[in-house]
Amino acid sequence: MTPPALRLNHVSFGPRQARILDGIDLQLEAGHFLGIVGPNGAGKSTLLHIICGLLQPSEGHIDLFGECLSRGSRRRLLGQIRFLPQRQESMSSMPVKVRNVVAMGLEDYHKALWHPARHGERIAQALERTGMAAQAEQDFRSLSGGQQQRVRLARALVSSPRILLLDEPAAALDARAQASLYRLLRELCDEAGMAVVMVEHDIAAISDYVNSVACLNRRIHHHAMRGEMIPEQVWRDMYGEHMHIVAHDAHCIGCAPDQHANEHHENGHPANGQPAPVPHADRQETSE
Amino acid sequence: MSGFLASEVMRAALGPATLIAVVASSMSVMVLAHRLAFLTVGVSHATLAGLGIAVVLSLPLLPTAAVTAVIVALLLGVISPQRGMNEDAATGVLFAGAMALGIVLLSGASRHEVDLFGLLFGNILTISEQDKFWLLCGSLPVLAALFWAARPWWAMAFDAASMRAMGLPVQGYRLLLYAVVGLTVVMCVKLAGIVLTAGLLVLPAASAWLWGRGLLSMWLISLALSLAGTWLGLYVSYVFDLPSGATVVLLLCAVFLISRSAHWLVHHRKAGQSH
Repeated sequence: MTPPALRLNHVSFGPRQARILDGIDLQLEAGHFLGIVGPNGAGKSTLLHIICGLLQPSEGHIDLFGECLSRGSRRRLLGQIRFLPQRQESMSSMPVKVRNVVAMGLEDYHKALWHPARHGERIAQALERTGMAAQAEQDFRSLSGGQQQRVRLARALVSSPRILLLDEPAAALDARAQASLYRLLRELCDEAGMAVVMVEHDIAAISDYVNSVACLNRRIHHHAMRGEMIPEQVWRDMYGEHMHIVAHDAHCIGCAPDQHANEHHENGHPANGQPAPVPHADRQETSE
Repeated sequence: MSGFLASEVMRAALGPATLIAVVASSMSVMVLAHRLAFLTVGVSHATLAGLGIAVVLSLPLLPTAAVTAVIVALLLGVISPQRGMNEDAATGVLFAGAMALGIVLLSGASRHEVDLFGLLFGNILTISEQDKFWLLCGSLPVLAALFWAARPWWAMAFDAASMRAMGLPVQGYRLLLYAVVGLTVVMCVKLAGIVLTAGLLVLPAASAWLWGRGLLSMWLISLALSLAGTWLGLYVSYVFDLPSGATVVLLLCAVFLISRSAHWLVHHRKAGQSH
């Protein structure tokens, strides 16, 4: 039996009296696309930082591909993970060719002044995969925000990771670029068997593409699998009095219009006691 | 030109000035990529403390200043926002404190012991054989570190978090960068002085920034502009009898302005053609 790609066993972070993350249990199989949603300060980015080894959990442990992440196995296991952090301003001002940005993702990039010719093919493949092959020789600064994000994704993919972590990759992208990015991530899960963990604020935007959504606010309030309903109480626990904004969006985007009518009040709020569904991910967009 | 080349003083200065131009322009790419312009100003001013210590304790000037600059740069490198003070404020504090210490220490020294004008504004024309030796000793590790760490430094400037997640020892490379910048600052003091050193470490890459398409092209353009500015600056200073360091920095400023203007013109013309 194939072990899960990622397993978090009761992972906590921060001082005991003021936990940033508290008792997180999660399991992710290969090819699974997990969305993590939650309010600001919920610990979403911290969780990603713990998974990719930038932070050490205060309690609990992480298993990667069936092996406990320890001092001895750390380098080898984390080498199979790539992390796409939030975009920084400095990136868009650096004079770098697109193909050289992708080269930065190679395992031995920093060990040599020039990369061997065989890496050229891997770079080309990664750019092809993200639809940026035509821009390979362009200056990264000349690209749009959506294109820059695709190049960063290509940089993460060039080393063929088994797990991809993304921290709000669609921030500052328009709806079309967002959908295109999520669709690409979905394809990576389906075709390459990559496990993807993506932090996003907007559940409505990701619900068509993910396999499951973890609702996080210090702890996992709910982990909804595809098609499963998210109880209203979960939204209330996470967002308090503003819960209707998030719950309403989630409900509308993922469901067919007639379904909304049955499950919403006239004001668009979820019906009391009615859970919001995580919609199926089988709806595919045909074009950007 | 023949008078310039016939001048023994100028001939003696040309080699060290060229070496300083090579080292400074090479590091200036990293200074700009990592946004360390203010740090170079801070470290260069902090070297006055090192020079003061050297004068008071009768130590060799350049090595003592180099050690001080590296220590100050490393101190700035370990101070992070998590420790309650950002790098900008820390640079301001160390810059002022070390400069004040240097002034106090040097105030007791006689004019024969220290050429304050030369320290502040540079004087490559008075370079001694011993200075040349220390210059070479300082430049070689800078160039070696640059050769070894250029790619990680460049990638870190682009996206440090991703590089850290990939297993790159980002903090170690960062401290190395700060130490090397500190060392480079001291190498530049002989040419441009404490006050103008930042110009040598910022202007070449700033002029190249709009034209470069990557690390290698940035380095080559930066190097070419720096050499042109330095040689032309020395020549102009000889012809018009001007202070060499300030003239070189002024020439580099002119190169920067020409570079920006040319880039604006090229893009303006391209934009005009596309409409």
